[in-house]
Amino acid sequence: MALLEVHGLVKRFLGVTAVDGVDLTVERGELVSLIGPNGSGKTTLFNCVTGYLPADGGRVLFRGADVTRAAPHRIARLGLGRTFQHVSVFARLSALENLLVFLQQHQEEQLLARLLRTPRLRRLEAEAIERARTLLALVGLAGRASAPAGSLSYGQRKLLAFAAALMPDPELLLLDEPAAAVNPTMINQMKEHILALHRQGKTVLLVEHNMDVVMDISERVVVLDHGQKIAEGPPAAIRRDPGVVEAYFGR
Amino acid sequence: MRGAGRLTVGALAVAAPWLVAAVVPDQQRYVVHVLVYTALFAALALSYDLVVGHVGALSLAHPAFFGVGAYTAAILATRLGWPFLADLLAAVLVAGAVAAVAGVPLFRLTEHAFAVGTLGFAVVAGIVATNWVEVTGGPLCITRIPKPVATLSAWYWLALAALGVVLVLYRGMTSFRLGRALHAVRDNEPLAAAAGIDPLRYRMLAFTVGGGLAGGVGALYAHYLSVMCPEEMTVALTVNLLVIVFLGGVGTPRGVLIGAVLFTALPEVLRMAPTWRLVIYGALLLVIVVRSPAGLEGLLARRAGAR
Repeated sequence: MALLEVHGLVKRFLGVTAVDGVDLTVERGELVSLIGPNGSGKTTLFNCVTGYLPADGGRVLFRGADVTRAAPHRIARLGLGRTFQHVSVFARLSALENLLVFLQQHQEEQLLARLLRTPRLRRLEAEAIERARTLLALVGLAGRASAPAGSLSYGQRKLLAFAAALMPDPELLLLDEPAAAVNPTMINQMKEHILALHRQGKTVLLVEHNMDVVMDISERVVVLDHGQKIAEGPPAAIRRDPGVVEAYFGR
Repeated sequence: MRGAGRLTVGALAVAAPWLVAAVVPDQQRYVVHVLVYTALFAALALSYDLVVGHVGALSLAHPAFFGVGAYTAAILATRLGWPFLADLLAAVLVAGAVAAVAGVPLFRLTEHAFAVGTLGFAVVAGIVATNWVEVTGGPLCITRIPKPVATLSAWYWLALAALGVVLVLYRGMTSFRLGRALHAVRDNEPLAAAAGIDPLRYRMLAFTVGGGLAGGVGALYAHYLSVMCPEEMTVALTVNLLVIVFLGGVGTPRGVLIGAVLFTALPEVLRMAPTWRLVIYGALLLVIVVRSPAGLEGLLARRAGAR
C-alpha cells in the first residue's frame, strides 16, 4: 500500500477543469516532484489532497484511509504536513510559538486538560520547546526564537514555515514551491534541507517551478499540463520527453 | 505589571470601599456605585475581548448574551423565586447555550459579513426583549429583582469577585496551548488548519465562553439595579465595549482593564451627558484605530520598551 494514492482526481472551477482525472502515487521514503507550466493544476491538486478544496471527482487515500472530502485539520492530524506557496506564518506569534502550534494539536486536545495545564501537558510542552529549538537551529533561526514571526524577513519566514511543518514529524510532507522568490543561497539551503529529510527516510512531495532544484534532487518527476498528467519518470527521462518539452517551450 | 505591582493593584481594588470612605465620606455612596459599575463593565469587556481580541472575530452580538443572562436571572428570581447563585449559574448556561446555537450559522460568515450578521442578531434580540411582553415585560421592564447582598460595599466585593473569576478564566483560555490555538486561528486560519487546528471549534469555544460570561455579568447587573429593561442591551452597549476594548488594547487583559476603568468611571465622574459621550467615544475610537491600533496598552508597552 502506497503512502499517498490519488485516483482520477477531478477539480473544476466554473466549468474550467483545473485537475482532470489525475492519478498519483507516492511510496514511503520517496522524493517526488510535481511540475508543470503555470496554471497546469499543481497547486489545485495539492489543495485537493490536503482538504483545502473539495474534489469534484476521484479519490484520495492517505495511509490507506479515504480522505477525499476530509477537513484540512483532520488530514493534517493523520500526518500529512504541508507548506504554502505564499509564505505563511502566524505573524503575531513568536517564531518559537509558530513551531509549537504545529505539534500541540497532535497531542492532548482536551480543553479542560489544557485549561488546567495537567502535569502531562507541561511535560509534553517542555519536550516540544526542546524540539522547536532544535529545528529553529537547523534552519538558522535560533537567534530569533522570541521574535514575532511577522518581523522576520521573507526568506526567514519561508524557513520558519518549513521548520514548523517538520514539527510533528509528518509521514508525508507536501512542499509548495519552497524555492520560489528566495535568493540562490537560500535555494541551495532549501535543497540541502530537503535532501537531508530524504536521507532520513522522510517522504516528500514537492511542487516546484525551479527546474534545477527539481532535476537535482527528485527521484521521480510527475508532469502536469492543463490538469492532466502528461509524463512521469526519473528526472533524466523527463528532461528528454518530447511531450514535456512541448508543454514547457511550445512547438 | 509584575507580581508586586499586580498585588498592589489587587489590594487597592479590594480596599477601595474603605479608601473611598476615608477620602470622600460625603460622596461615598456615589463613588462606590461607580466602582461597582466599573468592575461589572471590566468583566463584561474581558468576556468580549475573548472573542474580539483572541480569535479575531469582530462580534457585535455581545449585548444580546448580556441581555439573555440578565433576563434569565431576572425571570427566574422574580417569577420562580430561584436563589441568587442558582439563577446566576442558569444565566451563564443559557447565555452560553444561546451563543453556541447562534454561533453555528453566524460562523458561516466571515469578517465583515460576520460583524453584520452578529449586529443583526443583537438588534433582533433587542426587538424580542421589547416586544415579548409576556416574558420580558417589554418596555415596562422586570422590576423588584431581589438583591442578594444589601450594602453597596458588599455589592462592590461581589462584582470584584466576579471580575476575578472572569480574569482567571480569561487568562487560562488565552495562554498556554489553548491560547496559542486561539491566536493561531486569529492570525492565519488556513495555516492553523494545516497545524491540525479546527478553526471553527476554537472560534465557537471563545464565542460560547464569552457569551456565557457576558450572561453572568448580565445577571449580576440585573440583580444590582433590581430592574431589567430592553434599553440595557442596545447597540450603545456594543459601542461602549468596542471603545473599552479597542482603546484599552485589544487582546491584552491589562489594556482592557485600563480601558474599563477609564471609560466607565471617568464619564460618570465627569458627569458627561450621554449624548455627548457617544459623540466623543466615536471620535476617540476613530483616532485610536488610525493612530495607535494597539490602544493604550500599546503605548504603555512602547514606553516600557523604550526604557
